[in-house]
Amino acid sequence: MSALTRQRLSLALIWLALLTMPYWMNAVGGYTELGTRVLVLGLAAMALNFLLGFTGVLSFGHAAYFGLGAYGAGMAIKYLAPSTPLAIVIGVVLGTLAGAIIGALIVKLRGVYFAMVTIAFAQVFFFIAIRWNAVTGGDDGLTGWHRHALDLGFGKIDILNNDKAFYYLVLVLFAIAVGLMALLLRSPFGRTLLAIRENERRARFLGLPIEQHIWLSFVISCLFASLAGTLFALLSNFIDPHALHWSQSGNFVIMAVLGGMRSFWGPLVGAAIFVVLQDYVSSHTANWMSIIGLFFVLVVMFFPRGVLGMLRRKAKS
Amino acid sequence: MTQLLLFNVFNGLIVGAFYALMALGLSLILNLSGVINFAHGGFLAIGAYLAYSLIPYVGFWGALLIAPILTAMIGLLVERFLIRRLYQRDPLYSLLLTFGLAYILEDGTRMIWGAQSLPYVIPDWLTSPLSSEYFFLTGYRLFMVVLVAVAVGALFYILSRTRLGMRIRAGTADLETVSVLGVNVRLLRNLNFGLGIYLAGLAGVLAAGMLGLDPTIGSTLIMPSFVAIIVGGLGSLPGTLLGGLLIGVVSGITTVYFPSASEAVMYVMMGVVLLVRPRGLLGEEGRLQ
Amino acid sequence: MSLLQVQNVSRHFGSLIAVNGVTLTVEPGELRAVIGPNGAGKTTFFNLISGFFPPTAGKILFAGQDITALPPHKRVIMGMARTFQITEIFPELNVRENLRIPVEIASGLRLRPWLSKSADARIRERVAELMELGGLTEKADRLVGELSHGDQRATEIMMSLALRPRLLLLDEPTAGMGDQETYDISRLIRRLHKDQGLTIVLIEHDMRVVFNLADRIMVLAEGAVLAEGTPDDIANSEVVQAAYLGKAAA
Repeated sequence: MSALTRQRLSLALIWLALLTMPYWMNAVGGYTELGTRVLVLGLAAMALNFLLGFTGVLSFGHAAYFGLGAYGAGMAIKYLAPSTPLAIVIGVVLGTLAGAIIGALIVKLRGVYFAMVTIAFAQVFFFIAIRWNAVTGGDDGLTGWHRHALDLGFGKIDILNNDKAFYYLVLVLFAIAVGLMALLLRSPFGRTLLAIRENERRARFLGLPIEQHIWLSFVISCLFASLAGTLFALLSNFIDPHALHWSQSGNFVIMAVLGGMRSFWGPLVGAAIFVVLQDYVSSHTANWMSIIGLFFVLVVMFFPRGVLGMLRRKAKS
Repeated sequence: MTQLLLFNVFNGLIVGAFYALMALGLSLILNLSGVINFAHGGFLAIGAYLAYSLIPYVGFWGALLIAPILTAMIGLLVERFLIRRLYQRDPLYSLLLTFGLAYILEDGTRMIWGAQSLPYVIPDWLTSPLSSEYFFLTGYRLFMVVLVAVAVGALFYILSRTRLGMRIRAGTADLETVSVLGVNVRLLRNLNFGLGIYLAGLAGVLAAGMLGLDPTIGSTLIMPSFVAIIVGGLGSLPGTLLGGLLIGVVSGITTVYFPSASEAVMYVMMGVVLLVRPRGLLGEEGRLQ
Repeated sequence: MSLLQVQNVSRHFGSLIAVNGVTLTVEPGELRAVIGPNGAGKTTFFNLISGFFPPTAGKILFAGQDITALPPHKRVIMGMARTFQITEIFPELNVRENLRIPVEIASGLRLRPWLSKSADARIRERVAELMELGGLTEKADRLVGELSHGDQRATEIMMSLALRPRLLLLDEPTAGMGDQETYDISRLIRRLHKDQGLTIVLIEHDMRVVFNLADRIMVLAEGAVLAEGTPDDIANSEVVQAAYLGKAAA
């Protein structure tokens, strides 16, 4: 089997699995909402990986843009208008805007310093969410709102009560986002990002304004991360500061690494494993933090290339 | 009003001293080994809880002496068996590893000592106010400032006068040359890590007396320490010290006028510093790339 | 008009003076070599021309324009390309992709999120042309990180050439190569110079290569110009011999 056929086959399998997920999730002991969560967090991890794996920039604070998307969506419904599409748009604008501003401040930094500054900046929004009680609901989270049925003009889709319908809405948006990212990565612009990842000095001396390209990549990544955030809030009709916490940022990174940073679909696979594990562990033991922590350590020590990285290696040898 | 302001400035200075103590340890490790030790807060908590368990047997002073050393020993082991394996790899991996360790340490303290906050006994004569007008000037607070000052002084003495310290500084500047000159870089990094963790442990013993003792004590202090390093300047220990004190005081002052922004203000400050001077207040040129 | 004019340029690193008042003029179509003993400041001099860091004093003109303060990528856009002493490539991409990136940059497409079929075809054609010229066609789909040292160097030179530069700066193109590879790279450089009429400035250690290729040679020693002239002038210069032999004897 040639590499191309194999690639096409696995692509078809991935989409087939995603399209039918609500119908086999229960059979394997899951539930539709768990599947939706995999998609949403997978999208966030793939958005992060746009930076991490394909631009080579160590961003560790993506919970900020994810969380801003989530709060933006929740607050739009609660304070502005009962519209799901509006909520998504507002959340995405909010997260992307924050990414654009913070990105501009940090594009000169590299490596561990970039990581440290992104982590630290993400905390601002965490504290705002906690302290600005009147608007954000503080520690208890933003409640008293829910997603609304989609009005298509000729009819309504009840995404509120029908969780399968909501799953497919998420899947459509996921497909668009992922398609756009894939398209970008295959474009001349996408290749400049690979160039920066591979060898920044060479890229600079081929005439690339590195900072501009890293900034763009950062903003694009924040855009899709905040889209994932809006869907996360809509999924549970609730959002609390945990979505903005640095531990959430770390979770996104571990998903990307676990699945394989160098492969486009890796983070989705990582998200699936992580979400299922977290779901299982947190419902079986109070010490889930230790188990997740241990999981981090094990992945780093024994599994640095991730699932897809390992598979690809095997296929090669 | 003046008194309230003074109180909060002084308070900020003390909190800033903790940030600085913790950030100095983080900086040592970051500068020599390129590792962001996310678990630093976890080590701080270990130091605090060890002191809590030791106080009934050896008293406060004994705990102050022993607990940081025990914490540092745990740090040496963690470096030896886990972190050391990752120096050759992308810094992403050491970051994730210490991230996982932070989870384990926080949960571990919760498992051993419980999730409730615990009473932390400090000597009576340290807790009484020294002046009725400036009620906040308790002996313990003054004592903490003095002790942090002594610890920082000792650290800078070690770095500039002892053989280990000079090697750490030389290694920070140019690790390759130092290793060619026959210095055992593995041992150097190990001891340096231990030194950083010692400072975290010490900060823990002191902080518990002021902030109270519960398992999240470390994770509340770690982020400000990052900010201290960034504001103070990457690669510069005096900068880290300055950064820690500065954000402590600024957030103390903000508490007076706009209490709900007391945490956010340090991140705003970080943004301003990065905008005006990307390498930080006392940062070295060329550290960014 | 001269293509490159370096006027009395110096660079200090703290108390160390790496380059001290060096002046160099390169005419279009010329192949100029810069030689000198180790630590003579050759690479620093190159870094000043390509904009790696700014000079402490002096001025650099490119095609009549003052570029002293321009960042590297702007110099590249003006037509100045360079290679490095230690080959700088994109190791985990294949030869085709390595060349495609500079071709797209040179075509002003670096921010394009998509390509038309015709643009894509044009780019492929140009990449194929460059691979042919560099003798890399058979290795098109190999990862550059897995190629031989000589092929990596050829890739790097062709990447620079993909930018359609008016001036090519080569920093020790044959460093660390065996005889066969040195010969191949020299031939490639000669072809670019003679067939394409490219202006080239190169730093080189291998004297066979220098005397074989260069129209004129500049000798640097301790950061300053020791001698300048045709290969014959330099070969017969007593000052130069003294500098080299002195170093060799020491």
